[in-house]
Amino acid sequence: MIWVVLLLVLVPFISAGLSLLVGHGGEVAERGIAVGAGALGLALAGVVAFPHLGDATPLAHVFAATTAAGPPIELAFYVDPLSAVLLLLAHTVAFLVQVYSLGYMHGDPRYPSYAALVSLFTGAMTLVVVADDLWVLLVGWELMGACSYFLISHHWELPEARAGAVKAFLMTRTADLGLLFAILVLGLRFDSYRISTVMAAIADGGFGRDDLWLPAVLLTAAVVGKSAQFPLHTWLPDAMPGPTPISALIHAATMVAAGVFLVARTYPLFLSAPAALNVLALVAAVTMLLAAFYALFTSDLKRVLAWSTVSQLAYMFGALAVGAWSAGVLHLLAHGAFKALLFLAAGAVVHAVGSTSMTAMGGLRDKLPDTFLTMSLGFGALAGVVPLVGFFTKDAVIGATWDAALHGRLVWPWLAWLLFASAVVTAVLTVAYSLRAWLMVFLGSPAGADLAEGEVPEIAEAPPSMKVPLYLLALPTALGGLVVVYPEAVLGSGEYHLLHPELGLVMTVLVALTAAVVVRAWRRSGGRDPWRPRVLPQPQVDRVYDVGLVRPVMRLARLARAGDRDVIDAYADGAAAGAWGLGRVLRLAQNGNVQGYLMVVVVGACALAVVAGVVA
Amino acid sequence: MPLWWPLLLSSLLFAIGVYGVLVRRNAVLVLMGVELMLNAVNLNLVAFDAYFRDVLHGGQTFALFVIVIAAAEIGLGLAIVLLVFRTHGQIDVDTMRELADREEPAVAER
Repeated sequence: MIWVVLLLVLVPFISAGLSLLVGHGGEVAERGIAVGAGALGLALAGVVAFPHLGDATPLAHVFAATTAAGPPIELAFYVDPLSAVLLLLAHTVAFLVQVYSLGYMHGDPRYPSYAALVSLFTGAMTLVVVADDLWVLLVGWELMGACSYFLISHHWELPEARAGAVKAFLMTRTADLGLLFAILVLGLRFDSYRISTVMAAIADGGFGRDDLWLPAVLLTAAVVGKSAQFPLHTWLPDAMPGPTPISALIHAATMVAAGVFLVARTYPLFLSAPAALNVLALVAAVTMLLAAFYALFTSDLKRVLAWSTVSQLAYMFGALAVGAWSAGVLHLLAHGAFKALLFLAAGAVVHAVGSTSMTAMGGLRDKLPDTFLTMSLGFGALAGVVPLVGFFTKDAVIGATWDAALHGRLVWPWLAWLLFASAVVTAVLTVAYSLRAWLMVFLGSPAGADLAEGEVPEIAEAPPSMKVPLYLLALPTALGGLVVVYPEAVLGSGEYHLLHPELGLVMTVLVALTAAVVVRAWRRSGGRDPWRPRVLPQPQVDRVYDVGLVRPVMRLARLARAGDRDVIDAYADGAAAGAWGLGRVLRLAQNGNVQGYLMVVVVGACALAVVAGVVA
Repeated sequence: MPLWWPLLLSSLLFAIGVYGVLVRRNAVLVLMGVELMLNAVNLNLVAFDAYFRDVLHGGQTFALFVIVIAAAEIGLGLAIVLLVFRTHGQIDVDTMRELADREEPAVAER
């Protein structure tokens, strides 16, 4: 079995290499490798994951270890239910994205490198998920950062794509320093880099409350960057110029999910250090509300979804912060399913309309029936409509914060109350922005209805390669709630307190009320935007980064460049110029007149003779 | 015969030869200057040979060698002059400046 895990890690990397090497050879080769490797990865992930769901004993294996000084760095893998579900999620979404890209990226000249990077991305996420050594995890973690950089800048002709890619890379990379230092601190403290060893040692106790606050807070910083939480949240919406399937991959299964996964994986550490949990709770409470407000007012479909991702990730962190591990993980899975669905469906809409602005859409229900059906399910799940998966997991999260507010001991009570209030308000806002996007895209008067006949753009449903993934993702979106009802089958037996019927009832009433208000506003506006889209005053985080970091760094860079050019280079240039000048003087003697040369020889010889006579 | 007579003569000859090599424009006359210098040396060698009454007559033998080499040298020199005349149409050494170091397009400069 362990060799299957190794194979599972290697397959995406090999396929990425093959795509780059022979992908330009022909359409069959490039498409076959990408989709075939995706299917193989999914099959292997199934083989690895299904035996380890539920109560199975976790699989741990060390392939190799360094013997140099210090704690050994080991190529160690570890598969438990958490790894298993994330493997399934990552490989399912990756495979569907590869299939979807057949249609979406059709005719793109950079398709081979795109497919290779998607494979690499999947491989990096697999590595993070199955790694049992902190350094191995860091390798996958950083690979993901690099891949996201390349994929966001896929359309590198667009300046905003380049800027978004650089921003994503710099922000996540800065936060990654937290992970690096956390690894070093943990390695010093426990004399081992193995996650399972360290976590078992922490779980055994013997550590005082907040004894290990430093690595926990460092890890919090790392996941805040990776999962785009306040105050490092700005990179995710700016990453939207990337291809839409990439957004699905980043938002649902890999990049941002890795942050939640890391907290879930090192959960004993966080439980032993409530200081980090307090930070996490505060960050989550601020982020979910802020992101929901942005989603409410932006008029770009992909940005709505991006902000909703930030907001939903904050839900997961909120659940993890109050000790509801299973609620956080299950919301991660549910979100992975419906957010992948939403992004792929949004890609189909954008593919058909040719714009991401929601004002350019409208009345697409009849023209894109399949997209309409599946995306409605996705929006329903996002908003938390009753039978869909989002309702159950969001209910579990809100219930967990409610319990924590009433009698939790992990975070400060006022923080738990804040988190609960924030979660409820955000749930209401989520309904509002989901419904608004849904109404503006699919219902109402079609955009361009006032245009003359013939000017109306042709809008056609996406090809089958794009439709099939939508339906496949609609399945878990619709039925995933069963997992919340029977969590033992997936996460193993234990005490779960996921269902909160009375809270669910209250939330459903709130959802219905909000929906009624939004629909009323939408009616009143005549089937257009229910409220005026406006540019919300950004909390000046970007400005702060600009003034505090970017400009000083640029100034320092200019200074360094000036020093290099005007001081260090001056020496080298001066030496060269001196040699040139001297040469220019000396070359005057080399005039080609042989008799002149001889004259110098004769005169020199005479002079030498005279000098010799005088001296001797 | 005192030694300084032939030495004076050879010095004069050598100076004339140097003068010819340095200032004549005609390549043939430059070669003649070279011959004068060689023969001044020969005179020196013979004079010292006689003065020291060398049993093996090394000076005279060496002078013979120099004569042979001078013959070969003048042959080579004249051949070069001939070629120069064929290619340039004249044998003025002042005009032959092909070896001058001229301003090249600067490659090393940035």
